[in-house]
Amino acid sequence: MRRWHSLSAVLLLWGCGEGRLETIEAPATAPAPGRGDDGDDGAGGDDEPMAPPDEGLPGEAPAGPPFRPSPATLHRLTRTQYVNSVRHALGDVRLPDDLEVDTPLHGFSTVGAAELTISPRAAEQFEAAALDVTGQVFDDASRRAALVGCEPADAACVRDFFARFGRRAWRRPLAPEEIDRLAGLHAELTGSFRDPWAALRFTVAAMLQAPDFLFRAEVGEPDPADPAKRRYTNHEMASRLAYFLWSSPPDDALLDAADRGELVTDAGLRAQAARMLADPRAREAMRAYFGEYLSLGELDHLEKDRATFPQMSDTLGRSMRAEIEAVVDHLVFERDADFRELLTTRETFVNAELAALYHLPAPEGEALVAAELPADGARGGLLSMAGVLAVNAHHTVTSPTRRGKFIQANLLCFDVPPPPPGVVTNLDGVGGEGPQTTRQKLTRHAVDPTCNGCHQHMDPIGLALENFDAIGAWRTTESGLPIDATAGVQGVAIDGARALGALVREDAQFGDCMARRMYRHATGHLEERGEIGVVRRLGREFREGGHRVVALATAIVLSEGFRGAAPPSDEVEMPAAEGGN
Amino acid sequence: MDRRTFLRGVLGGAAATIALPTLEAMLGSNGDALADGRPIPTRFGVWFWGNGVRREHWIPDGEGTGFRPRAELAPLNDVRDWVSPVTGLEIKTATHPHHSGMTGIMTGMRYHQVGTTRDTIVSTFAGPSCDQIAAAAFEGQTPYRSIEVAVARFRGTDEGTTFQHLSHNGPNNVNPSEYEPRRVFERLFGMGPTAPQLDFARKSVLDVVNAQIRGLQGRVGARDRQRLEQHFESVRAIELRLAAGAARCATPGAPADFPDVDGREQLAERNVAMSELMALALACDMTRAFSVMYSSAGSGVVVWPAGANNGLHQMCHDEGAPQPTVHRAVVFIMEQLAHFLRRLRDTPEGDGNLLDHCSILCTTELSEGNVHSNDEFPILIAGKGGGRLRGGVHYRSHGRENASKAVLTALRGAGIPLGGFGAEAGHVTDSLGALEA
Repeated sequence: MRRWHSLSAVLLLWGCGEGRLETIEAPATAPAPGRGDDGDDGAGGDDEPMAPPDEGLPGEAPAGPPFRPSPATLHRLTRTQYVNSVRHALGDVRLPDDLEVDTPLHGFSTVGAAELTISPRAAEQFEAAALDVTGQVFDDASRRAALVGCEPADAACVRDFFARFGRRAWRRPLAPEEIDRLAGLHAELTGSFRDPWAALRFTVAAMLQAPDFLFRAEVGEPDPADPAKRRYTNHEMASRLAYFLWSSPPDDALLDAADRGELVTDAGLRAQAARMLADPRAREAMRAYFGEYLSLGELDHLEKDRATFPQMSDTLGRSMRAEIEAVVDHLVFERDADFRELLTTRETFVNAELAALYHLPAPEGEALVAAELPADGARGGLLSMAGVLAVNAHHTVTSPTRRGKFIQANLLCFDVPPPPPGVVTNLDGVGGEGPQTTRQKLTRHAVDPTCNGCHQHMDPIGLALENFDAIGAWRTTESGLPIDATAGVQGVAIDGARALGALVREDAQFGDCMARRMYRHATGHLEERGEIGVVRRLGREFREGGHRVVALATAIVLSEGFRGAAPPSDEVEMPAAEGGN
Repeated sequence: MDRRTFLRGVLGGAAATIALPTLEAMLGSNGDALADGRPIPTRFGVWFWGNGVRREHWIPDGEGTGFRPRAELAPLNDVRDWVSPVTGLEIKTATHPHHSGMTGIMTGMRYHQVGTTRDTIVSTFAGPSCDQIAAAAFEGQTPYRSIEVAVARFRGTDEGTTFQHLSHNGPNNVNPSEYEPRRVFERLFGMGPTAPQLDFARKSVLDVVNAQIRGLQGRVGARDRQRLEQHFESVRAIELRLAAGAARCATPGAPADFPDVDGREQLAERNVAMSELMALALACDMTRAFSVMYSSAGSGVVVWPAGANNGLHQMCHDEGAPQPTVHRAVVFIMEQLAHFLRRLRDTPEGDGNLLDHCSILCTTELSEGNVHSNDEFPILIAGKGGGRLRGGVHYRSHGRENASKAVLTALRGAGIPLGGFGAEAGHVTDSLGALEA
């Protein structure tokens, strides 16, 4: 199988069928459905023609334009990275619960973190958090002694501490004038408090509010082997590796490797990546990545109509998320399996409420335990896991469109634009009186060419999942009518979730898309035109290497896209605001 | 809201009420002056809800002061003298159904696209939102430059800051709204000035932080220098607050949390608490620029009290004409707005009340959710603007005038002497004289 969409769809403009833009001005690039979502369209500002969507067989994709790195930039720590960085610096402290939530862009918090800055409210939160956590450590004589290791009444002790602690907190060696500045603050506050420990607590609080802590600053340096090129420095690479593979700051071993100049060599990077991917922090970080890749966030506050679904509880959504995370973790880290097994596996993990939903024997206790789905059952693989089915449904009824869109957009990088303006989107009154199935209501999408241009890429796929209701429970009827879960996808007749999973598994786009998304997450920006070649190669190697996720993460770290920098951008985003004075 | 839900909120949630001191006693204002003798200020605010209205129930019959509200504006009857419906206006910068309305009404500008994609567009605001234009005008006069709160939890995360946040300082430079009343309370009363020695330490710490920011600015490109400039300003705001000295109001009791009940958000209860806190923040002159994001643009909030059982955005798409549930949801949201406005009106200030001294733009991101239209834009201007606004007037545009005019009217109504508002096709220099006193 090569394509999920018909060739004609690629040629159609906005609305995937009828042009409905007469009344408003079209955007510079009218959206069409396709895989050109990810920078095939170029980063703007260059004269090269827009690249067509991928054509040709997988493996034969053209290399794309010459490699051109993305500009070095400031990356604000994500919420998780901030928490992990504070704990790395100070040990096991309690963080306030009101830290600002991330603003994901292009699907990933890391992308938002490279765009956004620190609002007045966030600065207040960071100040409060810094005073809170430093209080926890410095109000405790044994904890502060363990952290500092000497008496801060002694100036040499304090300077030595700033050098050591600064390296942990700011993830690089401190410049002498920075140590001078911190020592100056400490001396000033010691004079005020007449207590060198209290002064030290506030100085540490300053270090935790500094941009050097809250941001990862990346500038890059000329590559000595080819001064026309620019690369990230050793210490910049230490943080790039650590926040990608661990969602945490670099440890001493990684900083030592940076000090030795090992993080700009293939061998050094390979060694560190292997070490880091074997560390429990990698599993934690990968869990966070998959949460965004699979859009699982809504499961933390899953709202479903409890009159319709008595099985819903305050915990069921989080259990659904935990199941998917456990399956992914098992495939990636326990088995280093072909990741496509995610789409077909009958190995899963359930607790009592999930077992009830799946009609499996209930395990003891709260924790999820391994379970096997029946070989002759309807469930198997990601597409029949309750979390995916529930997030991509409404609060009472299913949405084949949303489920289809999830498969296309998240798993296959095939994006579908929103409905054109002025189109009435409700489906009532189609097909006459009396109860109807969701499938019957959706016939409007199939017969109306305005709808069908796009919906043909979503609805049929989602209809194969109609045996699962809006919380992912099995059903055979809807509104008293029998469910039909057959679908024609790519000219292949399928019936049900497992057949659909098997079909997606064989699509080369699944592996290419995974590589593309992880690259985006790892680098913290939407892939640009000059990176297409890197992204395609990563996808090809991922597929040809048997879809090993750990190998993919390693390949990303070693890729020139992860290591090469363009000079920081001088483009200023704030246009003159009219009426602003 | 049905009576049962209301009673559960009140009776079941005794701990959810906030014990605020009586503002009148606390403030001691009279005539046109605050207790400390300074003149009563005029405040600017935005009260925003997502997904538009049903226009057949929205547009009042008749114009001017004699208009007759239809069902979706009927909840505001009680504060009618302070509320002017503005109808028939249009966003002139509309190029995209989802993104243009939000950025158009809040900035008067086109949306700013983030990254070139052909899929779902990711956008942010091209310039500051109108609440931040007001915040800049009022800067330095109050402890907080602006306060942002929200009621419903839902945030769309697929299409950029436009769908996640209301208040923007500029592109991808946002002021996130706080949706837990307890956290708003802690912000207003928790981290103010304390003991002089402690304040001195905090100030010294922030000086060092800003020195580090300046140092880093010297090493990065212009784009990142700009991002760090916001960080610098954000830190400076804390320093200024410390320098300004103690808060002007007594500290009230803290509000409780509002956890979901049976999987449902306590929307009305949280709105009551937020309205209370906002009235307090304004009466105490802790800020003069504010925004309440009742629900975000394209919000998927489930308006359970209106009989909804799906997210509002989805219901706008799915419910058949005439969309009775969507209509009930709009009525419910206007009841929520009415509560907020009543809370301001019932707060005495000088010879009048707090609402007399506010100018509040109440709006949404599109006209009707089922068709994503940007014409016939739903706008209310609430408050008397310290005597600058008439209130209680239905202004009907018969020539599809620029929606930016309403925003400019509201900003000028707060006493901000702007020459214009918006850019390109969204730019205007005229306000709506019919609404001005």
